[in-house]
Amino acid sequence: MGEHHGYKSAFEGAAEAGSQTTPARDAMIRMLDHTADVGFELKAPTLEAMFDEARRALLMTVFERPPRSGEDEDSVRLSAPDLETLLVRWINELVFLIQGDGFVPVHADVRIEESGGEGFSLEASLTGASLDVEGHGWQGEIKSATFHRLDVTNESGCWQAQVILDV
Amino acid sequence: MNIEHVSEFKYRILKEGKMRVDAAFYASEGILEDLRSEDYASLKQICNVAMLPGVVEPALTMPDIHWGYGFPIGGVAAFDPEDGGVVSPGGVGFDINCGVRLLISELSRKDVDPSEGRLVEDPQRIGLADTLYESIPSGVGKGRKDTGFVREDLEEVLVEGAGALVGRGYGEPKDLENIESEGRLPSANPKGVSNRAYQRGVSQLGTLGSGNHFLEVQYVDEIYDEEVARAYGLSEGKVTVLIHSGSRGLGHQVCQDYVERCMEAANRYGIELEDRQLAAAPIRSPEGKAYLGAMAAAANFAFANRQLITHFTRKAFRRAGFDSEAHHLRVLYDLAHNNAKFEEHGGREVLVHRKGATRAYGPGNEELPERYRSVGQPVLVPGDMGRYSFVLAGTEGAMSETFGSSAHGAGRKMGRRAAKKAAKGRNLRRELEDKGILVRAANRATIDEEMSEAYKDAAEVVDTTDRAGIGKKVARLRPLIVVKG
Repeated sequence: MGEHHGYKSAFEGAAEAGSQTTPARDAMIRMLDHTADVGFELKAPTLEAMFDEARRALLMTVFERPPRSGEDEDSVRLSAPDLETLLVRWINELVFLIQGDGFVPVHADVRIEESGGEGFSLEASLTGASLDVEGHGWQGEIKSATFHRLDVTNESGCWQAQVILDV
Repeated sequence: MNIEHVSEFKYRILKEGKMRVDAAFYASEGILEDLRSEDYASLKQICNVAMLPGVVEPALTMPDIHWGYGFPIGGVAAFDPEDGGVVSPGGVGFDINCGVRLLISELSRKDVDPSEGRLVEDPQRIGLADTLYESIPSGVGKGRKDTGFVREDLEEVLVEGAGALVGRGYGEPKDLENIESEGRLPSANPKGVSNRAYQRGVSQLGTLGSGNHFLEVQYVDEIYDEEVARAYGLSEGKVTVLIHSGSRGLGHQVCQDYVERCMEAANRYGIELEDRQLAAAPIRSPEGKAYLGAMAAAANFAFANRQLITHFTRKAFRRAGFDSEAHHLRVLYDLAHNNAKFEEHGGREVLVHRKGATRAYGPGNEELPERYRSVGQPVLVPGDMGRYSFVLAGTEGAMSETFGSSAHGAGRKMGRRAAKKAAKGRNLRRELEDKGILVRAANRATIDEEMSEAYKDAAEVVDTTDRAGIGKKVARLRPLIVVKG
């Protein structure tokens, strides 16, 4: 099966939300638009930065006008046997915070460690704003991140991932 | 891929490679062209399903097939527990027991739409649209607080399904007769549902959700089969309400929890997965049983969700002035299109996964309510919000060919972003009003994403289903009011 079959690239979405590749950030989000579901491709110089890009991509998916600042704080601790599962759990945790707790994570300080051959652990300190369905331009619920075509790789020092969401 | 053209609308994919059985699909020329244009990606997905242990021939897709994650949407696959058959949470989907419920009353179109589409500014109709929108929240940002349900209530809902709500005064005992499995899957295990799933579910019971979920007030605009329509109580001009919703965050969480567990189990039981989202565990294994118990609990939540939405729909009709006995909305039928159920087919008990496919039992089946038994069960196929939806009947053809299954909807043909782009510069809400359809939605994005042009024509799906003999066309319904989450 062709790797990107069924997808249409949509860089314009990233541009609209003001988060296209910039030399300063050296990270990139590419929104995928599949007929039934949505997703994104991520690139970043470090693993932590790539997980943070996933957070930004999620906000771009669920909000037309994602908040840029917030006063609330929260934290997340996760572990997983592999990086793909860790990424799915991270996104699902953020989905829960937004849709369940009404906490929109506008900034994350992410730390990831390999836990001695036992997989990976993630700790994140989050700063966020309260969910404002109308003000933030709510685009609709995310049911879950999926394992379908999920991929996390490191090529020549550049971390890349692809995630498909069920919406 | 070795595709054999079996008959006008039926094709078979002969097994090859790791496939354990053949696959089969139903398509018109137009549907086949869509499949070709995506390089058969959805068909390759059903071939992946045909590789799973214990799969019973054939693995199938319905005419509304489209590309999903893991299983294709429109996929039907049965597994034999005696032959190492598996259960796959991804084969049910995140929205466990998502489905549609059709309500009907003696109201006629002229009661709700006196000018027959020419004047949407009718105050009573606007009042009904606004009241429905206010009464049935989408569930994000504002959950349902008027019921005051707590975790203990939810535990009972997870075991008893729609009946738990009827017992609390949200509906009538008669409602339960016309729900698939009477609104309750047995063997539900509320203890297998995580705390987080409870947390997500407690304020979302009685909420619609977003995306393609909706509530529509419609009228019957065409009857194709008088006899069956009579048995269903459908006649031209009658007002119906179609509700499309599922198990909300509770179901999504159950699926998340068990996909991961089944991924580990698949590894342990040596089940090879072409796609990790197909994660599966043997039906008879502790992991398989645990998922089935939690899935049944989430399914019962979904039945209860549609029951509570029904209650608030009835209340909204009364508040909008449609309050006489004749205006009372009765449940015509409620069915699910995302689940896995033990059923008897070909003389053995198999676990039938339906991922975006509807159960479509034909005439004579003892599981059907008596009033529908002679004609087969109602099969509800929603289309897009600007055109129409259909009522079909289950057939003997479905019983013998598709494990008693049929199509479940129109299927998207445009991505959400693409739809929004296509909607730029247009006022879709106004365009729908010009067609006599009032829309109430949380935001413009939802209306744009769900535009008619983003969907395939449900008529083609339904005609293919009918002509392939796996469902019989009974009636067409046109929208008057659309409520989107």
